Amino acid sequence: MTSSHAFRRFAFAYGIAFAVLYVVALKWDLALFTVYPSLGVVLPGTHHSRDTVDPAMGFLAPAMYWYGWTATAALGALVPGLVAALLPERWMHRIWPGWLWVIPALAMIACVYLTMPWFRL
Amino acid sequence: MVTALLIVHGLVAVALLGAITHQAVASWAPAGARPGSFFGRFRTVPAASFANAVVVLYLASALLGGIVYLYFRVDIRPALEQAGHWQTLGLFDIKEHFVSVGLALLPAYWVCWRRPRADESARIRAALTAVLAVIVWWSFLIGHVLNNLRGFGS
Repeated sequence: MTSSHAFRRFAFAYGIAFAVLYVVALKWDLALFTVYPSLGVVLPGTHHSRDTVDPAMGFLAPAMYWYGWTATAALGALVPGLVAALLPERWMHRIWPGWLWVIPALAMIACVYLTMPWFRL
Repeated sequence: MVTALLIVHGLVAVALLGAITHQAVASWAPAGARPGSFFGRFRTVPAASFANAVVVLYLASALLGGIVYLYFRVDIRPALEQAGHWQTLGLFDIKEHFVSVGLALLPAYWVCWRRPRADESARIRAALTAVLAVIVWWSFLIGHVLNNLRGFGS
């Protein structure tokens, strides 16, 4: 019963924290790693072609950041998730459960906003 | 091989779309719906029984999509960029962001449906399901649009 309650607290905190951290990772380009699928290479951290060579290299060896952003948020969300799992159950009653869907919904809107530059090209 | 993966990805997505739509409509259908009516029949669907299927199908779909995405980035996206399909690529980027947010919501979603607490509002569960339904519908439609624009083998 106790472990079930702890998992509930973890799951709720994890979902909320992930949504926030994903937007942070997207906004500040904090990919845990960068994938170069055409080369079969994975580099730790965020790498842009302009870091080292001509930007045109981005066309020849495209980089992928989505996996890295997701990994950043997934790893980061573990901390609040585990903290919430360790907190006493009564503390959770003070938090409005609606945040569980409101914050991810707001995060989705933020993701749309951060993607807007594509629509101005 | 990639084409086969894409087809399986699409089929899993269809199953997921059906499951999450049934569950979402069952959760939001008006309680006073006439028995035997369209919404009345939806209300009688045991919505909680879809939760395991939704979690498994979402994970499978995300995994397959994550694999196919590698090939998309190398073989398809450069051609779309050259053709100036920036808006479509933007829509696809939104899809990938939504899918990630949805992935992280799966544990809470599962807990809400399979381990509900007596004092927990059913509206929270319904709202969470609606968020996931929006993600799944968006992903399905944009994936479909992109595939129509330039499918594998074109």
